[in-house]
Amino acid sequence: MSDKPVSDMSFEEAMKELEGVVAKLESGDVPLEDSIKFYERGAALKAHCQKKLAEAEEKVAQITLDGDGNPTGTAAVDIQ
Amino acid sequence: MTQIYWHESALEHVTPPGHPERVARAEVVHAALQNLDGLTWHEAPLADRAEVLRCHPEHYLERVEAAIPNESYVSLDADTHLSPGSLGAVMRGVGGCCSAVDAVLAGDANTAFVAMRPPGHHAETETAMGFCLFGNAAIAAKRALDHHGLSRVAVLDFDVHHGNGTQDLLWNEPRTLFASSHQMPLYPGTGATHETGAHNNVVNAPLPPMSGGREMRRAWGDVILPAVDDFAPELIIISAGFDAHESDPLANLNWTADDFRWVTEAICDVAEAHAKGRVVSTLEGGYDLDALAASVTAHVQVLMERDP
Repeated sequence: MSDKPVSDMSFEEAMKELEGVVAKLESGDVPLEDSIKFYERGAALKAHCQKKLAEAEEKVAQITLDGDGNPTGTAAVDIQ
Repeated sequence: MTQIYWHESALEHVTPPGHPERVARAEVVHAALQNLDGLTWHEAPLADRAEVLRCHPEHYLERVEAAIPNESYVSLDADTHLSPGSLGAVMRGVGGCCSAVDAVLAGDANTAFVAMRPPGHHAETETAMGFCLFGNAAIAAKRALDHHGLSRVAVLDFDVHHGNGTQDLLWNEPRTLFASSHQMPLYPGTGATHETGAHNNVVNAPLPPMSGGREMRRAWGDVILPAVDDFAPELIIISAGFDAHESDPLANLNWTADDFRWVTEAICDVAEAHAKGRVVSTLEGGYDLDALAASVTAHVQVLMERDP
């Protein structure tokens, strides 16, 4: 488990650590006393990944295309 | 009248500073139970080594005995530590469970609670882990079967962590039903619903993090209790961990003392239907001292109400 703040992580970094945390929890290799910390770190990583994904989706939705399907720029979208 | 099994050696299993499974747990449990009128107190005796051997091989028992330090601590894994007083405490925990079984099967009491530490439900056949050395609840079940000649014993575990040790010790024992609710994911990583024992004698009901009494009551009401009812045990042994409480620092479930009262009542209902009301309960986890005191009080009060 890294000490890096989750908020400073890229999606790839967070996803990689999340996979490691899940594998550790499932393997039973985590001491009982630390298990809760691993779970909470995993929950924070999952939330961060979901936030990064939502931000990426928003950017994709803003891309405008011309008649041939080529990107021409971005437009504001209203995401609830 | 409900019996309590206790011995001051529960205070002599000392863990390193800051360890959650600490002497103060036994102190607050003892103090909470002292506040209840109408209990009969019994000394938890030292178990004969043969009781441990009902579930663990002799070389494992010898390994634990040999590891006891003359001073300070010895660590068996990242969580599980021994101090000079640990062997006395753990052997009296086993002894208390065996005496409690003897008492309820002799008709001296219908319900009994063993207020000893360290806990036992993580100890596997040859592996000490998760603060646990010997499988108290499984040993008690085997004593009821092999010494007293019962045919069916249920071990029900509501500690927030899966009782992997009890499951391991009873996996191949068709005369037992082991059923557990526990948070998943969490230590020790076992306890999935597909783990059903060699004889369909294991029932696991994992609970999601942040869930509370409603989800617990559904798991017990829809999954665990019907299985226990079908099994029709002649004795019920409870692994009573109180770390599913909302204040516990080692887990994320949100049970209250009232939820521990509810699950104890539900277990006693099944015991009254099939087992003449016979229930032996043994302390497992619970690491917030105030929550532990309130929850163990609620649990034992129900045992007392069912055994006036």
